[in-house]
Amino acid sequence: MQKTEVFVTKKVLKFLLSATVLVSGVIAHADNVDVPKDELTQETVYPVFDNPVSVKNRNVQDAGALDIGVFGGLALTEPISSTTKVGADINYHINYFHSVGVFFAKTSAGLSKDAQGLKDQFGLDFNRAPKQDYSLMVDYNYKAFYGKLSLTSNGVINTTIYGSLSGGMVTYVHKSYPALAIGIGERFYFTNKLSLKLDLRLYAHTAPIPFKSGALRNGTNGTPVDPLPSYDSFEERLTYTTNLELGLNYLF
Amino acid sequence: MKKNIVKIFLIHICALVSLLGWTPLAKAAPAKNVVTTKKITTTRKAAPSPKIYTASKTITTRSQLSSALGLMKSAQYPQAANAFLSLSKRGDLASERSQIKYYLGLSLMEMNLNQAAAFQFVDVIKNGDQRWTRQAIENLLIVTDRLGDETLLNYAIQRIDVNQVPTQYRDMLYFRLGEIKHKAGLHQEAVQLYNKVGEQSRFYFSALYGRGLAQAEAKQPDLALQSFKKLLDTRSTAKVTDTNRVAAQLSIARTYYQKGSWEKSIEAYSSIPRDSVMWHEALFEKTWAMLRAARFRSTLSNFQTLHSTFYEDAYIPETLLLRSIVYLYICKYDEMEKTVGLFETQYGPIYAKMNQYLSQNHSSEAYFQEVNKAYITKKDPESKKSFSIPYNAIKHIAEEGDVRRTYAYLKKLSDERKIIEENPNLKSTPVGAYATRIVNNRLKSARSVIGDMVKANLLNMRAELRDLNEQASFIRYEMINGKKESLKKRITGKDLAEDGNSQNQDRSFYIQNGYEYYPFQGEYWLDEIGNYHYLGKQSCE
Repeated sequence: MQKTEVFVTKKVLKFLLSATVLVSGVIAHADNVDVPKDELTQETVYPVFDNPVSVKNRNVQDAGALDIGVFGGLALTEPISSTTKVGADINYHINYFHSVGVFFAKTSAGLSKDAQGLKDQFGLDFNRAPKQDYSLMVDYNYKAFYGKLSLTSNGVINTTIYGSLSGGMVTYVHKSYPALAIGIGERFYFTNKLSLKLDLRLYAHTAPIPFKSGALRNGTNGTPVDPLPSYDSFEERLTYTTNLELGLNYLF
Repeated sequence: MKKNIVKIFLIHICALVSLLGWTPLAKAAPAKNVVTTKKITTTRKAAPSPKIYTASKTITTRSQLSSALGLMKSAQYPQAANAFLSLSKRGDLASERSQIKYYLGLSLMEMNLNQAAAFQFVDVIKNGDQRWTRQAIENLLIVTDRLGDETLLNYAIQRIDVNQVPTQYRDMLYFRLGEIKHKAGLHQEAVQLYNKVGEQSRFYFSALYGRGLAQAEAKQPDLALQSFKKLLDTRSTAKVTDTNRVAAQLSIARTYYQKGSWEKSIEAYSSIPRDSVMWHEALFEKTWAMLRAARFRSTLSNFQTLHSTFYEDAYIPETLLLRSIVYLYICKYDEMEKTVGLFETQYGPIYAKMNQYLSQNHSSEAYFQEVNKAYITKKDPESKKSFSIPYNAIKHIAEEGDVRRTYAYLKKLSDERKIIEENPNLKSTPVGAYATRIVNNRLKSARSVIGDMVKANLLNMRAELRDLNEQASFIRYEMINGKKESLKKRITGKDLAEDGNSQNQDRSFYIQNGYEYYPFQGEYWLDEIGNYHYLGKQSCE
């Protein structure tokens, strides 16, 4: 379509420049801003661009960056051993969508609350069973979403949501087992570098079963004392554990 | 399908009638339609002594002509075209050349070889054989309309008598004539011609738009508003992003601007849907309207969108200067300095590159290659680095109406060449070679025309940038002056507390999200474009 010639001319620009003094008084007392209705959004559609992308000039420039962090976690579905762990991770962000890294997690040595209860009440000591010591995994993340959250009227934080796929070893006190984990995670960026990382992972690996008759009783509350079992005598089977991890990461 | 059958039927009748010895002028009755033609044909078929319309007395020649027409009748257009081409070269058939060329044109038309067909009709018109001129002009009008070849279209139109054109083509003719008058600045005549385009015509909406535009250019904004509003009403049931509907809304906004009705203009601009391709242009123009309405805060809000990274490919140098002037109005000298600096950083290198390119390249082909690359790689952001002319400048030129139209014509020529090349039965024949030669010549010429257009646009842009650079210097002077006054006031204790070193100053741009606002933090989101609001205060005493 042709454009009428009535708009946007250089002459207008010159006119505006010369009129500065005259009009500046008009806006001298515009302290209370009230956005007119015709400026408020009435549509949920997006403008059309040749190369539409969701975001430009993004705050979190993680492409090609190293991301180092520490985390703590809980094994939500672990009934016997202590459910907590701490660890560290390092990730390299290949681009805005993919990252690879490794993480190491040290599992605490104690028993879970329930297992401690069984020990105190029935003399079943699960410390006799092999327990997880640590895990070392290679991790791949697909960062599907980058967005931002308006938490308060002035507090806006960026976030990424990603899917994770990890493979590595879960090491028990006596033996190491290969393990796979899939999960979903989210990073909340307090600044353009510092983020809170939340991961939910489902681990799948072979593990010793701590329930073995004639091996766990320690004589508490008058129960008989079972001979100390060797760790290898415990049965093994494929187990699934859900883990929740929370950490702090920094982009370098 | 039905349409085609009727068309073939008509061609056959025409051919038969010519062979029977009647001149086309003799059978030319005004406002003929298919039904009347059929009636005439039926009568003529019953004529007792059919004669072949040819001066040649030899049976061989007659049979060759009949045979070629027979091929055309049986829809064997490539064969018919070859036969007609061969006959058109024969010296002994000079008196029948117009007739032969006309049928050659019709055969080529049927094969969608519009450019090659157009040349046959032009030849017939040039020959001046009155028996075939009218039909040739009519068909030339049709093929040039299909091609969008304005030169040949004008050639045809200037030679045509509207009353002799079949009714179904009259609307197109009125519209094209209106366009010609419009371009020549004859607004009243253009309006009259646009008015003649019927409501059922596919040119009706364009004619309504053209009428409004002509009225606006003739400084009749009230009449123009009526035309644009009529167009809007006519398209009220179409989807919100319908081109005609949005064009009407945009034109209404522009006309109000022309009238100086800033608020109405802003309202009209605001009604343009964001998912329309014209929204960006509307936003830019709305900014001017807001500025003229002294809505400076709103103006700055729009600039936040226009100067976002989403528009890094846009060539809008004056908006940066305009923004700096608004900052001058509200005494934000630091922001102003940044904006003028941005203008110099962004458009300084563009100006230098333009200069360099213009001084180093003189052939049209070089300019064509650049704009061609811009069309081809429009969707590929990576290719932007390969341009010799800065990408936003060449993109701006590629979007200019004249360049776009000629490029569309070039595209049609390429399609025509593809038809020939993809059809081995046609390509290897004399008519295939002949059509290829015509199309190649036209392609070369169109490329050259586009190249010249690009160069002309580039020269204009360079001149404009030079002018804007000068204005930037004036703006700088005003800024320094303003700063000086501000310092004086500060020394005398009259400055506002907020003013001062703005290194840590809040930019005060907020983004609306429903009823909530959150601060702009540097990144631009697609869904936020157009939703930025400047909530800063003026700093003048």
